[in-house]
Amino acid sequence: MWFSKRRDKKMRLVKKILLVILIVFVAIQFIQPAHNNNNGQVLPTDITKIVPVPDRVVDIFKNSCYDCHSNNTRYPWYSYIQPGGWWMASHIKKGKADLNFNEFGSYSNRKQQNKLRSIAESIEDGSMPIPAYTIIHTDAKLSKDQKKLVLDWTSKTKDSLSLNN
Amino acid sequence: MKNIFFAIAISVITFAACNNSSNKSGEANKINNDSTHATTETNAVTASPLGGIVANYLQMKNAFANDNDKDAATAGNDMLKTFKNFDESSLSADKKKTYEDIADDAKEHAEHIGMNAGNIKHQREHFDMLSKDVYDMVKTFGAGQQLYKDFCPMYNNNKGAIWLSETKEIKNPYLGKKMPTCGSVKEEIKK
Repeated sequence: MWFSKRRDKKMRLVKKILLVILIVFVAIQFIQPAHNNNNGQVLPTDITKIVPVPDRVVDIFKNSCYDCHSNNTRYPWYSYIQPGGWWMASHIKKGKADLNFNEFGSYSNRKQQNKLRSIAESIEDGSMPIPAYTIIHTDAKLSKDQKKLVLDWTSKTKDSLSLNN
Repeated sequence: MKNIFFAIAISVITFAACNNSSNKSGEANKINNDSTHATTETNAVTASPLGGIVANYLQMKNAFANDNDKDAATAGNDMLKTFKNFDESSLSADKKKTYEDIADDAKEHAEHIGMNAGNIKHQREHFDMLSKDVYDMVKTFGAGQQLYKDFCPMYNNNKGAIWLSETKEIKNPYLGKKMPTCGSVKEEIKK
């Protein structure tokens, strides 16, 4: 007898906890982070205005890098459900701080060369695009050929930049 | 109901604990900051505006030579603070521009080295780029102390990399304890 009473109590408690979780979940939906979107405006500091970038390389960047490393993110459905959107916003903030292809021209020559080197290194060792991104955006994963295209471009561009210096 | 209170109590305690630890690291930072100030001051006697930066750099270089990612990160964070406290008013207008260009780049490397304890490979990539920055700075402003420019031909798939050292003896910061004596002195930078 006392046993089932205890069980009852437990059930009520579980329900209460679930209710609290539900309320919190609903409440946080109202806190939507600002979107990273300047409507595809091409700034004079855009990387394509600074150094020659072949179309095929631009396509790779747009598809695999720009969601976090430019002023325009393509937002997937889960970004509208919190905390998914917050998580994404923090990645974008960090990504843009490290490298923003739209603002490449605002970096000093020294920094531009180092950014190119870091692009090459992170693609070579597979740390970019990050696995947390490619697990959902499977098409953002770089194939061997795509990697080679980008790496050839970085080394060529780096050389031309150091000549300008 | 009791349990809910209990859960709240636990979360409050954890939060408090978190705050506590961040306070502690804040204090540690303060201490670090003070020590960088101290090095800046002692080096100021030798009249290079870069004294503090060079001291942080050498500390970092020695950490890498010992494969110590944590000490390297500490030096990176210290260097970032030294840069932030740097007094640009002592520089002439044209040198200011040079300084800002290099510092803008160097700060980022210091920051990444500071953030990446546990990933010494990545730290060393930034140390390579930082070494070039510090070398260029030293060439422009003087180091206030005798330094050696060393070269390791093997690092980065045999592309090689330079570093600065306060001793003539080679202690390779890129290959660490694996190949401590790899490399050679390329230039003596007089005081």
